[in-house]
Amino acid sequence: MRSFVYQSAGNLSQALTLGRGTGQGQTDATAQYLAGGTTLIDLMKLDVLRPQRLVNIDALRGDYGAIQITANGLHLGALATMAAAAEHPAVSADYPAIAQSLKLAASAQLRNMASLGGNVLQKTRCPYYRDPSWSACNKRSPGSGCAAIAGYNRNHAVLGVDASCISQYPGDLGVALIALEAQVEVAGPQGARRIPFASLHTPANGQPHIETTLKPGEILVAFLVPAAPFNRRSLYLKVRDRSSYEFAIASAAVALELDGRTVRQARIGLGGMAYQPWRAEEAEQMLIGKPLTLSNAESAATFALKDAITHGHNDYKPELARRTVVRALLEAGA
Amino acid sequence: MQDNINLFGKPTPRVDGIAKVTGAARFSSDERVLNPAYAYLVTSTIARGRISAFKLDRAKAVAGVLDIFTHENIGGETKTDTGPDGHPSTTSLESDRVWYDGQIIGIVVAETYEAAREAAHKVEVLYAPETPSATISSAGTETEPHKPERQPDPNKGDAQGAFAGAAVKLDAQYGTPSQHHNPIELFTVTCAWDGPKLTIHEPSQFMWGTKASVAKQLKIDPDHVRAISRYVGGAFGSKGPNPRTAWIAIAARHVRRPVKLVPTRDQGFSIATYRAQTRQHVKLGAASDGKLVSLSHEGWELTSRPSGYNVAGVGSTARMYACPNIATAVNVVHADRNTPGFMRAPPETPYMFGLESAMDELAYALKMDPIELRRVNDTQTDPVSGLPFSSRSLMQCFDQAAAQFGWARRNAEPASMRDGDWMVGYGCATACYPSNIGPAAVRVALTPKGKAFVGLAGHEIGTGAYTVVAITAARALGLDIKDVTVHLGDSELPPIMIAGGSNNAASASNAVVKACEELRRRIAEAAVRAGDSPLHGADASTLKMAAGKLIGPADRQEPLHIAVARTGQHLEAYAENIPQGLPPTAVADMSKGKTAMLGGSARKDVTAYAFGAHFVEVRVHSRTREIRVARVVSAFAAGTIINPTTAHSQFMSGAIWGLSSALLEKTELDEDTARYVNDNLADYLLPVNADVPSVEIIMVQEKDTQVNPLGVKGIGEIGIVGMNAAVANAIFHATGKRVRDLPIRAENLLEG
Amino acid sequence: MTSITRREVLTGGTALAAVGVEPLFAKQREASSADAAGTVRVKLMVNGKTHDLNLDPRVTVLDALREQLHLTGTKKGCDQGQCGACTIHLDGRRVLSCLTLAVAAQAKAIKTIEGLALPDGSLHPMQRAFIEQDGFQCGYCTPGQIMSAVACVEEGHANTDADIREYMSGNLCRCAAYPKILAAIKQARGQMEHG
Repeated sequence: MRSFVYQSAGNLSQALTLGRGTGQGQTDATAQYLAGGTTLIDLMKLDVLRPQRLVNIDALRGDYGAIQITANGLHLGALATMAAAAEHPAVSADYPAIAQSLKLAASAQLRNMASLGGNVLQKTRCPYYRDPSWSACNKRSPGSGCAAIAGYNRNHAVLGVDASCISQYPGDLGVALIALEAQVEVAGPQGARRIPFASLHTPANGQPHIETTLKPGEILVAFLVPAAPFNRRSLYLKVRDRSSYEFAIASAAVALELDGRTVRQARIGLGGMAYQPWRAEEAEQMLIGKPLTLSNAESAATFALKDAITHGHNDYKPELARRTVVRALLEAGA
Repeated sequence: MQDNINLFGKPTPRVDGIAKVTGAARFSSDERVLNPAYAYLVTSTIARGRISAFKLDRAKAVAGVLDIFTHENIGGETKTDTGPDGHPSTTSLESDRVWYDGQIIGIVVAETYEAAREAAHKVEVLYAPETPSATISSAGTETEPHKPERQPDPNKGDAQGAFAGAAVKLDAQYGTPSQHHNPIELFTVTCAWDGPKLTIHEPSQFMWGTKASVAKQLKIDPDHVRAISRYVGGAFGSKGPNPRTAWIAIAARHVRRPVKLVPTRDQGFSIATYRAQTRQHVKLGAASDGKLVSLSHEGWELTSRPSGYNVAGVGSTARMYACPNIATAVNVVHADRNTPGFMRAPPETPYMFGLESAMDELAYALKMDPIELRRVNDTQTDPVSGLPFSSRSLMQCFDQAAAQFGWARRNAEPASMRDGDWMVGYGCATACYPSNIGPAAVRVALTPKGKAFVGLAGHEIGTGAYTVVAITAARALGLDIKDVTVHLGDSELPPIMIAGGSNNAASASNAVVKACEELRRRIAEAAVRAGDSPLHGADASTLKMAAGKLIGPADRQEPLHIAVARTGQHLEAYAENIPQGLPPTAVADMSKGKTAMLGGSARKDVTAYAFGAHFVEVRVHSRTREIRVARVVSAFAAGTIINPTTAHSQFMSGAIWGLSSALLEKTELDEDTARYVNDNLADYLLPVNADVPSVEIIMVQEKDTQVNPLGVKGIGEIGIVGMNAAVANAIFHATGKRVRDLPIRAENLLEG
Repeated sequence: MTSITRREVLTGGTALAAVGVEPLFAKQREASSADAAGTVRVKLMVNGKTHDLNLDPRVTVLDALREQLHLTGTKKGCDQGQCGACTIHLDGRRVLSCLTLAVAAQAKAIKTIEGLALPDGSLHPMQRAFIEQDGFQCGYCTPGQIMSAVACVEEGHANTDADIREYMSGNLCRCAAYPKILAAIKQARGQMEHG
């Protein structure tokens, strides 16, 4: 861990003034916001992140940590802890996919620490990224290559990957948020703005060191999940080797609006599978107007994985993802 | 003596329980030393080659750095010790040679941990790398037959010919992965010098071995070395004497301050040992009634370039079942890896996976119940040597566990049992472990107030050693356990063999009983001589100590404190127990770090093993194929159980390790660079609480008059043995898919 | 001769320049030299007692407890949020002290295993239950397990076996005492509610 200047922001405007060195997720950003610290401190100890300035935004929780459900939808303050959102009874009842994605993530202790904003911005678990002794990592050192492509890649992405990076987005909440068409409220030195969650993360696109569309200094302050008839019939299914406290090897956030057995609307997010939070919109479309049968679910799931690219150890992933989507759809429809 | 010992002692809570639940128990890195400097290791990032140069300027510029040690400035300061098994092993800071990824190549010492870490990250190393070999299947490995150490590999009759003529045959290849112990306590060490004397705080499962090894490496008098390790935060074979300690001692000598090293979790993967990857070839031939006519088992084990380390588990698998024709062989495969070492049931965990998977496959080929296949091949005679087993209660274990498990409910047809969306499978397998005993010495003191103090350089690695020693002494002296204080984990105390091979309970308890008997003799002889004693004139050999009294014939007795006081103020006995068959110098040899154990098939009179049987129910999701264990019933017969409370925990722990070995644990490598890639606890998967279902442990009564005077068999390791096979067998039963390489994960079951 | 950082690996026998890393080092050096020696005053409230410390801002609560305050009951098992051995209560909630900077824990109530028993030494019901159920073996993860278990009950996550198993899954026990940890929590649950 390199030395840094520690500063604590008392409010949003102080934070935005101090946080101008934060970037768009770049590993070499000179400043980092410290909320729960569960990703940041870990990666600083590993010498991956080397900020010169840490800006503690814990104090912003009072203003940006609320969780509310209104007629318009669910408002999740980005400084709320994962635990607060996971345990919120109304979130569990009305947005089960959101609550489940949080409950199935990390551990009780980490959920007590981590903020929702920090959680959706967490870094990949790619071992080649997390250890600077590997020279080839385009995400950490732009232009250096990707050691994972020919390396150990059992839990690397098969969707949204390119020759520059096959790292996997490790989060769960982000998968639920993208499926449920959430919006993100962002505060920044140039003012506040609202963007679709789907446009928060950037594709690899040959420059995986740039991870978000945030501008330097910007802070996530809220997530808004719009009210929709499918929210209550949503779920998050997480497949992993051990029963808890593990990142997904495949996951699906699905939501359905049914008319009898006929699908009126469907939403499908994929986790443990893609470079970034992933929504299978075309697969969703295939289900609309059709009965929710095994074969229709299988067709949609197959379509969701049609562009998968595998690299050896992760050859199993497309098939596992198809099965995960089918199971999630059938369970949500039950 | 046997008649005085209950097969099951009274369940007793751990005497160190309060220390452990309050945080008062001091593990090595909890020990306070004056003004420590902090070390941080620099480890190699190539697996094979040489170090061309270090560039240390930026590291040395970090405020607080005291010094940086590499082969360039301290390389000549040790004499390299052999590996844990006596084989030559890799070196670390001795030279510019890099043997494996993660080798210690530098030590940064600084005023603070934070400064040492920052500086270590700023050390620059220039290498001349060579292409490494990572695993058994990699290009560039070197394979050779192992060198059998104590006895030849079991071979008997004509296994090949008998196999050719067998009515039913099974011929299959199995694989087990590299696995790391990952005790939750890190591989810490603190070294402090006081003039010529060195104190080491390091978790150790061989106190006198650590002392001897460090003295040898530093070329100093062993009497000047004191190793302290009152509590060990999990060992499982990983915390024996090692090359790290001496280097930290050298660093401390240079900076003239105590140096404390708390290495990182990922460094623990390469600075300590691990369980080696194996490949195995098993051939079983049986008559149509299931009786084995041929058993062949050949293994290939990974090791480092210089070390011949191997575990040769065929020594156990060849003895499991009656079979007239046996062929075994073991090969070592040298790769550019750190040297492997002992890990919980080192030979049996991998090799019994092969044998017990093959037995299950054979049972299906025979259309026979797998329990019945074991029954028709059960034997009370070691099939290799012809010696009797000291005791063998294998089928009692199978029968009791099967009844408890409800094995009768099993439909033998694979993929035939369902519970909703989950496919259900039952599996079983044999567990075994050699019953070892080693030399031990102990000092027992008894005060006139009736308080006993027991001291030996024993090892509390979670086995309940403090409690086992306290129970044994309390029973032998007729005291309440509260009146017994036990001191372990200090090399100033008398030696005991390495806590390995599950020997320590047998070794310690038999020595403690000897010392207590010596105290009894002295007290009794003083009493019968004393005119004022009600026991005056009695036969000293008949006097017993019980309930705080010295008791003779016809209700003649006196309070123990009076009897003790009569002998003088300080009553203390020292005893050594050297099991018959070990050299008479076995206790003295421990001061040289030598290990010696007797048990298993190494004895001339009997073959000594404990046996057990595992039953497991697994569930595999019919769609996504996650594998979950629903319940476990395991039965073990292991002679005298000194403390059923801690014994139960040991058996249960072993069984859970077996589940984990089957389903979760694998150390993954980057094949091209031979580097570990899942060297952390998020990616190297240990089971969590939610993984562990109901685990029922049955302790089967077994009286063994031959294994050792107290009839104690080791219990720390047997629990893991065979469970990996039981799980694989259950997965086959659930799905119809036979997986012969561990671990078994969803991706192995996705077809169909 | 091309220099290479310790954490750079070589391929193909040639030293690869640390592409894209050196400029960062250059920036880092300036920052380090300006701030490396600097410590900050940190006030920690541990088990009801306030401690004034001068600390490097990089010091975690875990290292401050262990190395500065000599409260060594809280254990380091991974130092990266993956084992739970360092679990403490921060303002009444269980958190990982290895990922919490001491400087960020000021003005918050820290409770460690040393603060769980009553001052007269009488054990917390959870501590008693761990002893009575043999809920540990080596004892290394135990302080973290117990701090987590107390919080688990207080949070209301100890109502069913499945809940306890799930909500205790952030605490690894390599000795695998899990079934007995479950039993201990069930035993202590009632005593905590009624005590």
